[in-house]
Amino acid sequence: MPMRYKRTELAGNIGFSTVIDEKFKTSYIVVRFITALDSKSASANALAISSLSSSSSRYKTLAELNEKLSSLYGAGLTSFAKKRGDVQILGLSASWINNRYAFDGEDVTGEMLSLVKECLFSPNAADGAFEADSFKITKKELLDRIDSELNNKRGYALSRAAEIAFHGEPAENPCYGTKETAENVTAEDAYSAYQNILENSQVEIFYVSANEEPVVEKMMTESFAAIRRSPVQVTFRTKSPLRSEPVTESDEFDVRQCKMVMTFKSDSDDIYALKMLNVIFGATPVSKLFFNVREKMSLCYYCASRIMSEKGALMVDSGVERENIEKAKAEIIHQLDEIRKGNVTDEEMQSARLTLDNAVTQVGDTPASYSAWYFERFCDGKIISPEQLFEEYANMTKERVVQAAESLRLDSVYLMLDKEAAE
Amino acid sequence: MEKEIIKSPDTGDSCIHVKHSSGLDIYICEMPGFSSVEALFGTKYGSVNTMFKMRDDKEYTVVPEGIAHFLEHKLFENEDCDVFELYAKTGASGNAFTSFDKTCYLFSCSKNYEESLRILLDFVQKPYFTQATVDKEQGIIGQEIKMTNDNPEWRVFFNMLRCMYHNNPVKIDIAGTVESIAQIDADLLYKCYYTFYNLNNMVLSIAGNISADEVLKICDECLKPCEDKGLETVFPEEPDEIVMPEIHETQPVGTPIFHIGYKCRVCTGQERLKKSMAASLAASILTDASSDMYKKLLDEGVINSSFGMEIFDGDGFFAVIFSGESSDPARVREALTAEIERIVKEGVDEKVFQRIKKSTYGMLVRELNNVEDVANLLINSYMDGVGPYDAINVLSHMNSSEVHEFMRDELINDRMVMSVIEGEAE
Repeated sequence: MPMRYKRTELAGNIGFSTVIDEKFKTSYIVVRFITALDSKSASANALAISSLSSSSSRYKTLAELNEKLSSLYGAGLTSFAKKRGDVQILGLSASWINNRYAFDGEDVTGEMLSLVKECLFSPNAADGAFEADSFKITKKELLDRIDSELNNKRGYALSRAAEIAFHGEPAENPCYGTKETAENVTAEDAYSAYQNILENSQVEIFYVSANEEPVVEKMMTESFAAIRRSPVQVTFRTKSPLRSEPVTESDEFDVRQCKMVMTFKSDSDDIYALKMLNVIFGATPVSKLFFNVREKMSLCYYCASRIMSEKGALMVDSGVERENIEKAKAEIIHQLDEIRKGNVTDEEMQSARLTLDNAVTQVGDTPASYSAWYFERFCDGKIISPEQLFEEYANMTKERVVQAAESLRLDSVYLMLDKEAAE
Repeated sequence: MEKEIIKSPDTGDSCIHVKHSSGLDIYICEMPGFSSVEALFGTKYGSVNTMFKMRDDKEYTVVPEGIAHFLEHKLFENEDCDVFELYAKTGASGNAFTSFDKTCYLFSCSKNYEESLRILLDFVQKPYFTQATVDKEQGIIGQEIKMTNDNPEWRVFFNMLRCMYHNNPVKIDIAGTVESIAQIDADLLYKCYYTFYNLNNMVLSIAGNISADEVLKICDECLKPCEDKGLETVFPEEPDEIVMPEIHETQPVGTPIFHIGYKCRVCTGQERLKKSMAASLAASILTDASSDMYKKLLDEGVINSSFGMEIFDGDGFFAVIFSGESSDPARVREALTAEIERIVKEGVDEKVFQRIKKSTYGMLVRELNNVEDVANLLINSYMDGVGPYDAINVLSHMNSSEVHEFMRDELINDRMVMSVIEGEAE
């Protein structure tokens, strides 16, 4: 039986989507709250959502909650805060094995659905604040996470590059806020942030299972009915303005390999052409960047591009020796110029189509991939199936890819430099 | 060609195993309803296999560290182009990796898997190295070694292994060192290739949206029969004792990170699977977020949710590792050893054991829900000398006394090491 997808709107402008696919041994639910990213609220929002997955009114400590989850065959319950352009996406998700695999005959699905409901609508809070001890642990967890971002040098360099490229825009903020803003959030602040999220954010719920569970829709409808909803619509796509002159900023660390991130910006609205350009330029091991900058010229250990269509930006990140930085930069720009000049072969176009086709066809092989796919389309403003998206790429012309390349301008460069070499 | 169907008595899942006439073991799992395909072609050859001989050789050959990984990089190029260019024509995403005890070449795709499988089987059987391409690769791998040295998670792990192992090559970075890879030349690569890339030492696993008959037809076309030359690998003598109990290194990190490892005695096949399962349950009990110890350390602020465990076992090595971020790793070590001592004395709480067992079972069932995980399960269980569904079966028969015995016999203070990476003092 093929999968069945359905999206309905519940009262209070809540999107409720289900995918029923009999092949799965597990079920999955995710509730996403979508709100504008703002330096003032980012940390409080992130702490609010993490408080939901660390205890509840019935399971008052992480220990009790965890005991419950592990007794339900290691069911997962997690929260997340993500950044997508100028938007903050906060979510609570859960996944568990289907009842037929429970050897003691438990109703794992029923128990997990009530647990999710309880975490969302009956959190561990009283008198307008999350419970103090649990909140303290949640806050420490977030502060540690912010601290440890430096441990992943490639990720850290990309965050710094975004901060520079989107300076003055919401997207310059980290998705959890900064260490300073996080430190100042109290249990009261986080709780009131959560009330604000429940009332004013856009909500998208996604449920994936092998079986129809009408109870999920009923549960969500009833629970949200108790909340006075007046959701504020966010703007998913805001093109970032281009600087008049590119800027370069750098930091020095005790590292052996330097990192360079170049941010290009585009004013084009042809997002499919920009996505295809990204594949040809630097997203695969046969892309122009990988093939020339890494393989042929050995200038970088890695050199890859990524597209952020929600900001009209394309980033090229690379791991490079200090003495090769200028050469690598020139070669990256040269490769983009090649595309601008129309030097894209039919093989490159075809290979990009095949890469995109393979990626699109794999949607649906895990419960979470369905949810990610349809959520991305929701953000794009047009809900289409994987097959319909592929049609867009099948009809793509070289001219559109060239135009997309022509629309890109270098905006900023971030360098992570090695300290010893500087001395 | 012998063909057998292997079925899990616990979940009802099944796969096909074929001993192909070429010498290759093949595992196939058809997964109706899934769109993607994952295939791995692997050899029992990893960074630890630096000493070997064939049946007819008198003496063991010793090769430089990092050569298995080097060979993996070079095999990705054939005479006229690199393998990525071949996959670009089918749309598959190709990759390869070398671990301590295996090297695997893989692709994932959702269309044209037949053509991608031909590419995979073909290039792995067709080595092509020249001195010029070997020289160039030395530069690329040198960069890779540098990059991994900036990765504190990698450093904390290898520093721990260096505290643990005197002679076993597991303590050396999989990519080797800049010095060791400088000794590699084309002849040496060919020697290692013809030793370890004999189909009798290899396995193919493929799972997802495939037809077993079609896969076998392609194997018949592409596999070149190999004579089994009786490969033997040996490891240097390794004492039970550790080298030193503690190591610290400074790197740019936020919160300090730690690895606390217990060096355990090695075994193979079914015995190792049982031991590994007992170790996994023991370590899960010790890192269980609902335990008193976890609660206490969390309240004291010395651990966070990154506190976790790993069973690190393979050909010639076995360790239980506890890791995480902590402002006071010594306090974590103290609490951990006290908790092990308490459980060894009082026994494993039966209720906790049953709950952890359920949770582990849930995790194994989830793996069977995912094409990539299934293909990996098939290849890993073959490499470990056990059946694909043996783990779930061993788990279902495991009792708390086996876990208690493991803690008592293997989680011993004298064989514990701690590695810490901390930021520079401000």
